[in-house]
Amino acid sequence: MRLIPPGSALPIALALVIALAACSSPASAPAGNTIKIGIDLPLSGADAAVGQPIDNGAILAVEEANAAGFDGGKFKLEADSLDDTTQGLHDPAQGAQNVKTLIGDPAVLAMVGPYNSNVAKSEIPLTNDAGLAQISPATTADGLTIGAPAKTLRQSHPDTIAFFRTCTRDSEQGAALAHFAQQLHFKRVFIVDDNETYGLDLADAFAASAATDGLTVLGHEHLASHQQDFKALLTKIAAAKPDVVFFGGVSSTGGALLRRQMPDAGLRSVPFFGGDGIASDEFIKTAGSAANGSYWTIAAPDVNKLPSAQAFVAAYRKRFNAEPIGYSAAAYTAVMVELAAIQKGIGAVGSLPSRATVLANVAATKGFASPIGTVGFDANGDTTAPVLTLQTVTGGKVVTVDVYTVK
Amino acid sequence: MTLFAQQIVNGLALGGIYALIALGYTMVFGIIELINFAHGDVYTLGTFFSLTILGLLGATGELHGPFLIVAVVVTVVLSMLLSGLVGVIIERLAYRPLRNAPRLAPLITAIGVSFILQNLMIYWHGPSPLPFPQILPNPSFAVGPVQIAAKQAFVIVLAVVLMIVLQLFVTRTKLGSAMRATAQDRDAARLMGIDVNTTIALTFFIGSALAGAAGFVSGAYYGTTWFFNGFAAGLKAFTAAVLGGIGNIAGAMLGGFAIGLVEALTTQLLSDQWSNIVVFGLLVVVLIVRPSGLLGATLSTKA
Repeated sequence: MRLIPPGSALPIALALVIALAACSSPASAPAGNTIKIGIDLPLSGADAAVGQPIDNGAILAVEEANAAGFDGGKFKLEADSLDDTTQGLHDPAQGAQNVKTLIGDPAVLAMVGPYNSNVAKSEIPLTNDAGLAQISPATTADGLTIGAPAKTLRQSHPDTIAFFRTCTRDSEQGAALAHFAQQLHFKRVFIVDDNETYGLDLADAFAASAATDGLTVLGHEHLASHQQDFKALLTKIAAAKPDVVFFGGVSSTGGALLRRQMPDAGLRSVPFFGGDGIASDEFIKTAGSAANGSYWTIAAPDVNKLPSAQAFVAAYRKRFNAEPIGYSAAAYTAVMVELAAIQKGIGAVGSLPSRATVLANVAATKGFASPIGTVGFDANGDTTAPVLTLQTVTGGKVVTVDVYTVK
Repeated sequence: MTLFAQQIVNGLALGGIYALIALGYTMVFGIIELINFAHGDVYTLGTFFSLTILGLLGATGELHGPFLIVAVVVTVVLSMLLSGLVGVIIERLAYRPLRNAPRLAPLITAIGVSFILQNLMIYWHGPSPLPFPQILPNPSFAVGPVQIAAKQAFVIVLAVVLMIVLQLFVTRTKLGSAMRATAQDRDAARLMGIDVNTTIALTFFIGSALAGAAGFVSGAYYGTTWFFNGFAAGLKAFTAAVLGGIGNIAGAMLGGFAIGLVEALTTQLLSDQWSNIVVFGLLVVVLIVRPSGLLGATLSTKA
């Protein structure tokens, strides 16, 4: 394009209109006596298979509390779910846009989400700045809550924690995975990750623990984004003769396709090992019969085996006519914690509490009884009761193998 | 060394798909100088069409014997026809009205068409990845120490055969001459009695039909698809067309295979995450040395 021709203003204007229409417009509902719980999750695209059940868990908690009459029926509760997917994949920029929308709505007193750590990275500075309590049921990257990386996310208020999570961190998950790998008698492991915040973090944590658990790391590769062909990579991996292939990342960023293509590269009988990112029906659907023989951990309990979760599981099945996943119960719990914090705030002032009050109450959560057990947050916003569950795929079905309690 | 040869086979199979898509980019650019950004999505549509056709044929798993051949031929041909038709419709509705507009207008329109196709595909099959039936049996045969999977051979052979057919069509037939004439000088071609509109529509038909064939191949080779597949593949194929010399049929083929090979070998020798860096780095170097691409000097559809 040498110069912009005179007639070109219209297409540019059109493109701008289309681009603007693609972003959700900020809504501003009157505060009044409506309290909203904001939710940000990947609700469409390749991550929807996990995003939807998590969203359902949060919505169920809001609906139940509303039906029971919040604060004696004086307040109406609403769930405001936003989708952070663009072009079929979770998108940190869209997540940030959604959080801005939620912050702009004065009725939103707390929020739940996201699912992906890189999305959380773009959202934490915003909720920290606005003092909006945010609880994620599923993001596990270490740098979100601890160390220098977490500090850099809290530019506005370095000493205020607004981001909490009910799941454990990847350093724990990586250690648990290495422990399980040793238990399953794996010796030679090839590590692959998707080069995203979560995947890289988990793969590094696993690699660090693998050495102490007697595993030999044969190689560590990072995928390019939107990659579809893994033949070359798998040929390279097969030449290293691993007992197991470890994947740090989510199903949608290559996990499922990598597994699907393993049999063609002569890796049919080699197990696939990963974190909570590949724990989804989407993985099983996309990987097809190759999904069998995969192992993963979820940073949540197996809700079907936990006595405290049975009432939740029954209510979930009744409401959505589907099976909940571990993080559904975690999202349900996150909303319960937030509603309890709001209720406490109302009790103190007799009217709608400020976001700061809600945040302080969420931060003070200790020994809170919930479907996923007793929940509380430490000084960093991390859960005080971390638990990891090892699961495997057999005959296209997910089976829980073992539970790992973080010491 | 065996590993190296194995990676060359992997690269050629990947490159075969890029090459088939690149042919469509290069033909359309050759004749109306439009970068058809919707082309990658036509390729994905080809996979979606194949999925539907296979469903209608009742093919859900591995096929054998005559039914395998019938199913593959029927699916490839129908998928090519339907994708070609989509290409013609896109040209008629979105590009022809803008043929004499400033160049930026059809470019933006092409991006718009790409979005429209993606969203139609979401509407059709949802936004999640779809499993594609594994219809091709996949025995591998040894050539020396190298194992070549039947699927890989299928991809490479189909790509080469289609390119040869296309090359013969363009150079040896009357319609092919009309295409070359239209590419050279549209007005002069019209004065010589060539129906320019039909010729351009035909170009879109052929280019899109090849994308439809690539769509089937991709589904059968990878076993999955989803609506966004065409984005990354389209970008790589476009790069292949530019690398080979845009407007040049043999160049698109060469560019496609070259990019597939570079990707596979980079993965083997360096690391997977370096593959895009090396591919696009190479593109920059080639364009600096030969601005019109590898085969840019001997254009066949455009002089």
